[in-house]
Amino acid sequence: MSDDNTEDLGGIFEKPVGRRDFLFDSAKLMAAAAAAGPFFMAAKQAAAAELASLGGDPIATNAVAAAKKSFSKVKISKIAESGPQALEVKNFSGPLWKKLTGAEVVSVEAPFAQIHSKAIAEHLAKSGALDVIDTSPAWIPEFADRGVIIPVDDLVAKYKAKATFSDLHPLYRLLGKYKGKTWGFFDDGDVWCLYYRKDVFADPKLRKAYKAKFKRDLRVPQGWDEFDETSQFITDQMAPKLYGGGEGRALGNPGNQFYFFQQFRNAGGQFFDPKSMKALINDSHGVKAMTQIMKELKASPPGIEKLDFISSWGVWLNGKTAMIYAWPPTGRISENYSQRDKVFAFLPKSKIVGKVGYALMPGKNGEHAGSFIQCIAADSKNKEAAFLYALWCTSPSVSLQRVMLPYTLRDPYRISHYKSKAYRALWPSAKQYLITLANAANDAVIDMQMIGAADYSNALDRAMTAIYAGKDIKKGLDDAAKEWDSITKKIGVDNQRKAYAEFLKLPGATAANTVSKLGLAVHIT
Amino acid sequence: MDRHIRWLLVSPAVLIIVALTIFPLAFSVWVSFVQFDFSVSEKHPWVGLDNFKQTWQDPVWVHSLVVTAVLATLSVAVELALGFLLALAMLRPFRGRRGLMVLFVIPLFISPVIAGGFFDLFLRRPFGPMNWLLTHLLGHPVTIDFTIDGRWPFFSLILADAWQWTPFVFVILLAGLSAIPDELYEAAEIDGARPRQSFFFVTLPLLTPIILIAVTFRFIDATKLFDIIYSLTRGGPGTETYTSSYYLYQQGFEFFHLGQGTAGAWMFTIMLTFVSFWLIRRLLKPVEE
Amino acid sequence: MAVDVSRLRRRATPRHGKVRVVRGRKFRPGTLFRWLFILLYLGFLVLPLYWVAITSIKPQEDLLVDPPIWWPSHPTSLHYSTALNAFRGWDGLRNSLIIAFSTTALALLIGTPAAYSMARFRTGGKHLAFWFLSQRIMPPVAIIIPVFLLYARYTEEWFGFSLVDTKVGLILLYTVFALPFTVWMMFAYFRQMPAELEEAALVDGCSRLQALWRIAAPLAAPGLVSAGAFAFILSWTEFLFAQVLSRTNAVTLPVALAGIITGFQGNQYGEASALTMVSLIPALLLGILIQRHLVRGLTLGAVQG
Repeated sequence: MSDDNTEDLGGIFEKPVGRRDFLFDSAKLMAAAAAAGPFFMAAKQAAAAELASLGGDPIATNAVAAAKKSFSKVKISKIAESGPQALEVKNFSGPLWKKLTGAEVVSVEAPFAQIHSKAIAEHLAKSGALDVIDTSPAWIPEFADRGVIIPVDDLVAKYKAKATFSDLHPLYRLLGKYKGKTWGFFDDGDVWCLYYRKDVFADPKLRKAYKAKFKRDLRVPQGWDEFDETSQFITDQMAPKLYGGGEGRALGNPGNQFYFFQQFRNAGGQFFDPKSMKALINDSHGVKAMTQIMKELKASPPGIEKLDFISSWGVWLNGKTAMIYAWPPTGRISENYSQRDKVFAFLPKSKIVGKVGYALMPGKNGEHAGSFIQCIAADSKNKEAAFLYALWCTSPSVSLQRVMLPYTLRDPYRISHYKSKAYRALWPSAKQYLITLANAANDAVIDMQMIGAADYSNALDRAMTAIYAGKDIKKGLDDAAKEWDSITKKIGVDNQRKAYAEFLKLPGATAANTVSKLGLAVHIT
Repeated sequence: MDRHIRWLLVSPAVLIIVALTIFPLAFSVWVSFVQFDFSVSEKHPWVGLDNFKQTWQDPVWVHSLVVTAVLATLSVAVELALGFLLALAMLRPFRGRRGLMVLFVIPLFISPVIAGGFFDLFLRRPFGPMNWLLTHLLGHPVTIDFTIDGRWPFFSLILADAWQWTPFVFVILLAGLSAIPDELYEAAEIDGARPRQSFFFVTLPLLTPIILIAVTFRFIDATKLFDIIYSLTRGGPGTETYTSSYYLYQQGFEFFHLGQGTAGAWMFTIMLTFVSFWLIRRLLKPVEE
Repeated sequence: MAVDVSRLRRRATPRHGKVRVVRGRKFRPGTLFRWLFILLYLGFLVLPLYWVAITSIKPQEDLLVDPPIWWPSHPTSLHYSTALNAFRGWDGLRNSLIIAFSTTALALLIGTPAAYSMARFRTGGKHLAFWFLSQRIMPPVAIIIPVFLLYARYTEEWFGFSLVDTKVGLILLYTVFALPFTVWMMFAYFRQMPAELEEAALVDGCSRLQALWRIAAPLAAPGLVSAGAFAFILSWTEFLFAQVLSRTNAVTLPVALAGIITGFQGNQYGEASALTMVSLIPALLLGILIQRHLVRGLTLGAVQG
């Protein structure tokens, strides 16, 4: 890719410490990512200084040394989401790993849902064709229980790599755990935040009108009711030039269950009754969440019910929405950071550079939606090599470079990412962005991580689109709850009761046990 | 000599089909009667007819059968009408006919999953041009969510399907039309038939077998409508546009309730066999003569 | 209806360079109506195609805007290079070409003799014909996992080779999918072809295989072309099995395309459009090459006595 960007950028980490060779080469590749923007020089200097202060990255260098010694001929295949996510393997970590260890990495690509299907199919065939699986946390219980993946604890102990976990944000440190074991290396901090237009919220005319109507100052909404009120207000005042908010609501893309999970639990709901395992999504919390969501729709640009996520990003980048709550790439694309790479040619250039503020989600509980954990396939014939690759790939120094690649859609997740001077130098407000991401993870709620998560999510997603299309809210949720009960029955009520108890142990399973509530919050400055 | 060779000639085709399908078919029969559900366990105890029962009890499945029947019938009807008219219009040679022929068959070369994706883009409000076009054609603002509002999702699916498959019907019917010997028309004319009459008494009856071929192949394929659903509506809104094939794909492949998905597929096969048997019997009549 | 054999033979004899001109006083719809309908249909056909074409050269600024942009002020080829180089476009194109042409050849090679035998000797009677047709009835999802297991596991265990993620594997499978149609079309074609020429050849000392190869097959060329076209279309556009049975080596165009049009965090419409346009090039070339035979091949084949 962007070869034209690479010249004279070779030395982003010009004075590397530790293993000079690997850092230097990775820097070259990274240069492809960070083209010469106004903040590039600053980023370059900061990165050099930062790595000097870190004293290298023993996790990465040890993994490389071990792999070079024993597995330099071993070809690893990793399954990743097709498109930009897989491109990272092809263009960055794959070639770099080969350079450092001599071993090849190939990427098998599949659309998100089909990673799941393919991993299972390969497991049924015992083909051993996959070594590393980009696993969504939601699939971990199923993959773990059915022997699709192996826990990494033994190998972590063998290679004395425990330190790789200590630098993870507490939320992400615990997400890969299931039944007391660790099932992989967390690799994508997909927490939702609220992105808003600073210029809109500072607009004197709008502020005056707001004050006249509500007898208080216009501010970034703190709760969902306020969010609905504010976005409807902006829409009423400015549409069709500008709408209050707008997220992609198309069925299955990205999946409406995320929206519901987020607001339902912020309202105080929980998925099941832990004793009877009856679905509770149709209780008063559910109705409240769904009513709020319908109000959001009303304040959104028309047609939003059918927009996929890219389209709603497009609307946002064209300056047509005042707020959007979404995945972390939102911050990067708003500043045109991602679009500097040619590969990222599917989003318009941002018309709102420098105008975007970052905030916690209304009610603080943002969904940690989707995400990936790099897991080792149980049928792999090269488990140890796969392990070393995944360990290296997610190590502090390498993962920092990967989350800084403009095109990958991988988002920061380590304390050291949030603190990274290099990252903070990518655009003027990048520091605030990183701090907001870290804070959002403190209060985030997580996707359902149970067997059948895909079934439950799909039932809810369908019910929600039916409600968008005019079905009664209560009736729609009742039907979804009925579907949930029959899914639970099919998988086994006892099994699911245990699984749900296991899920409830994870931080963010409900709004009452977020990282903050558990007293584990990290505060980045 | 011919007695041996006749089987020799048939055998490669038969063998390759048997070789590649016998295991999958046997496996899928077995799967329908055991518990084969990745979300339940790895073991596969015999469960008799449970998979069939469970599928049958899923309201989405029953709904999907109705949707499938309606969608298949309507799209084939639309394709037949369009294809027939187009074949009539293209029957006689004229300047530019060849170029048009090439244009007309293009949709056949586009993967349906992609065609669905582009109809999504084309119909989408507000970025797609469809509403814009209608607004300018009709002279008043049109804001329809073609994949959500009311019956429009069905319209959109039929539109996409017709766009893709009308060429198929058209090509076959055109072939049939141009094979009707001129003498018959001449004879009809001598008997004093007007063009309209010769259409109903010569063209249509002679074309019936060809229409049957087109309808049979199209109908069987249309009942398996999956790709366009997958990329255009994903079965939504709600479960409104779930076709059986899409439902089975989700159950069997996406969620890995393989037992249930396969049992459903067999039920579907049996139902479709009855329908297509009826069609194919008419198709094969000439062989029995 | 009675068919004049000599007339049929005249049609069956390949005549190069000329479309068979339909003369006589066939039913003809009014010229006005005809052109009106052709124009309307053309609009219906071309509009979505135009949208794909224009999307493929739009800079990303023009992609998702309201009102829609009909012609970009700064067309770009960026989507083409990205789709081909970064998103498996070249791989997909190469594999699809190999797989589609091989499938077409294989389906014709083994489908034609079968059809010939069924037409000339009534081999298997209507049961065999029905059996071939019935192959199309089963929804693919019923066999997709078993086929995967067969390819990824059992061929390995039984015969020592794996067919998953190989072009050969897809070619074999697509041949199976294409055969019902190929056999059926050739069957119909041969049944309408007079047998006298072959019989004459047999009398002259040709073997049956030679008669098929030297006499019947060339006479059936238009039929072969149209049957082949449908086999090509099938393997060129198939998505589900290609998706499941490929990993890295046998990724076809539809798989590469679906990978960028059904993404989790969104769809890359520019790239998908570009790749679609690329996929149309071979199709168009082929269409231009065969269009004249396409209908003529069907013409004879589809006539029922």
